[in-house]
Amino acid sequence: MLALRLARGSHPLVLLRRLFVTAASAGTGFLLLSALGHAAGHPTTAGDSLTRLLWCAAPLAATAQLAVSVARTDPAARLQRGMTAAGLGPLRLTLLAAASTALSCVLGVLLSLLVFLHLRGDLGGSTADSAHSDLLGSGHPVPLAGSVMLLAAVPLAAAAATAVSLRPRNDAGYADSEAHSTAAPTGLPWGVALTAAGLAIEAYTSPATDTHGGKLPLPGQLIGSAPGVLAGWALASFGLVLAGPGLVHLSGQLLCAGRPGALRLLSGRVLQEESHRLGRPLGVLCAVASGTYAAVTVYGTAPSHPVGPLTTIGTSVIFACVTASALAAALESRSARARTTAALRRLGAPVSVLHRATALRALALTLVLGPLTWTVAEMATFPLVH
Amino acid sequence: MVAPPDNDVLWARDLHHMHGGTTALTGVSLGVREGEIVAVTGPRGSGKTTLLHCLSGQIVPTEGEVWFNGASVHTLSSPSRERLRLDRFGWIDTEPHLVPELTAWENAALPLLLRGAGHRSAKNTAVEWLDRLDVGMCARRRPARLDQSQLQRVAIARALATTPQVLFADEPTAPLHSADGTQVLRTLTTAARSHQITVILATYDPQVAALADRALSLLDGRLSGAVPATADSSDEESRAACSLSV
Repeated sequence: MLALRLARGSHPLVLLRRLFVTAASAGTGFLLLSALGHAAGHPTTAGDSLTRLLWCAAPLAATAQLAVSVARTDPAARLQRGMTAAGLGPLRLTLLAAASTALSCVLGVLLSLLVFLHLRGDLGGSTADSAHSDLLGSGHPVPLAGSVMLLAAVPLAAAAATAVSLRPRNDAGYADSEAHSTAAPTGLPWGVALTAAGLAIEAYTSPATDTHGGKLPLPGQLIGSAPGVLAGWALASFGLVLAGPGLVHLSGQLLCAGRPGALRLLSGRVLQEESHRLGRPLGVLCAVASGTYAAVTVYGTAPSHPVGPLTTIGTSVIFACVTASALAAALESRSARARTTAALRRLGAPVSVLHRATALRALALTLVLGPLTWTVAEMATFPLVH
Repeated sequence: MVAPPDNDVLWARDLHHMHGGTTALTGVSLGVREGEIVAVTGPRGSGKTTLLHCLSGQIVPTEGEVWFNGASVHTLSSPSRERLRLDRFGWIDTEPHLVPELTAWENAALPLLLRGAGHRSAKNTAVEWLDRLDVGMCARRRPARLDQSQLQRVAIARALATTPQVLFADEPTAPLHSADGTQVLRTLTTAARSHQITVILATYDPQVAALADRALSLLDGRLSGAVPATADSSDEESRAACSLSV
């Protein structure tokens, strides 16, 4: 109830972020339901339906990540002292954040259930066109309990991820993390190694183009494609995510190399310090971007396999989620630095300097991460297309 | 509009300020001469910080005038007030508020760098001031690895490194132990006197006010009288404040 009351009184911008989580969970819920519908409509090809269900893990993970990022920027999480004074301890505050997340997600999946049933024609009215009815398994009854169980996965996963990421840490742990935050992230070598290994596995196991037609392991065509290609891709993407903080730190280091003035000093050092917060979401964004680029390229060379509507929904959910998570992380870092910014303003630092420092940070990140993402994507596509 | 007296570097007339619905200042007027150290005393919530914010151009008072070096501050645009703060004023806060990403010397050199000074000269000046304030040995450390008194000394070095014309200090010794606080404050006033820096010092501690040339006491946003810091009346006042707070 408190979660509901807080949601009612929150700022429109906060509500907009929550609404984004709702939209993402609606998309994921719809994908889950369509996998169920496919299973109901095609009882003979259970393996295919299972694959579709497994592919839903990607948007589910992206939704959970977005939910966590949004929960971290939530003002309620920062009002800790006021909440403590009101008798709401850190543990219950975490539960409150998880409940708020679950609330937005439940709203989203209920919406998706309505849309799903409407498209199948279960709510009365005529069924949509035949392409949809085949995809969603119209005419074959879907077990209601099963769909609710399946849908519950979205709010449960999001709430659990939120609770784990915002769990109260004891004082010792807090001091630890503080001391750790000044050190450079250590994931860069591992990330590079994993990415390289992933690309190598993919190149080694990918079938010759003429026998396979450059087929990509996406939902419609997964059966029969080499699992090695998929594993290589996953490994390369994981490597990018792992390398994220290190890359951001490196960008910061490059920014304030030499004898920096106030502008480069502020932007570079801040980027180094914030690499722990920004690195992961940016790494995920790069991994998704490179994956999408590779997928589009491979599909472009094999026009016989058009991209289906479910793949489009899934890709857009993932893309929107990771972009929004990266933005939310930037927002979180901004609000975490609000006191320092205020102190700088009291010193008389002009607003223009602070704005230019932010722009410089964005530019440095684009210059470092953009070409890298492109390179990884090109190398991932190479064995599949040529 | 009345032109201010010539010998005052900072001059304010009939300042009124409202925070939301709360009155923070009512009819405060004061003049500060060049090189003078003025203490503004009063309990928490008496309007000291608001007065300092108004005088340093961080906020524009709802009513009243602020003049600096014969030019009005309250009529300036926000960017010009920023420029004025950067070029002429120094600010020491209750909390050190150092930039956590920068080392101690980089923090102290930041206002110089923001003014456009060269890297090398800014570093030399900053390190010199850190040495003078006994924190030269931690010039290369990050704020996370310094203790409270070292942090506050670095913040003071940051304010003094630009040798501002007017230095505003808002309860600079509040987070320190009393011995540390006294020492830090002595360093601050000595440095200010030797460099002819005008200091306006907000404090709730009458003992701190004793280090100043004169003390003004604020209560509920009103100036309750200018008194020489050494006179007995300041003791009486502190007693009165104590009896009020009980």
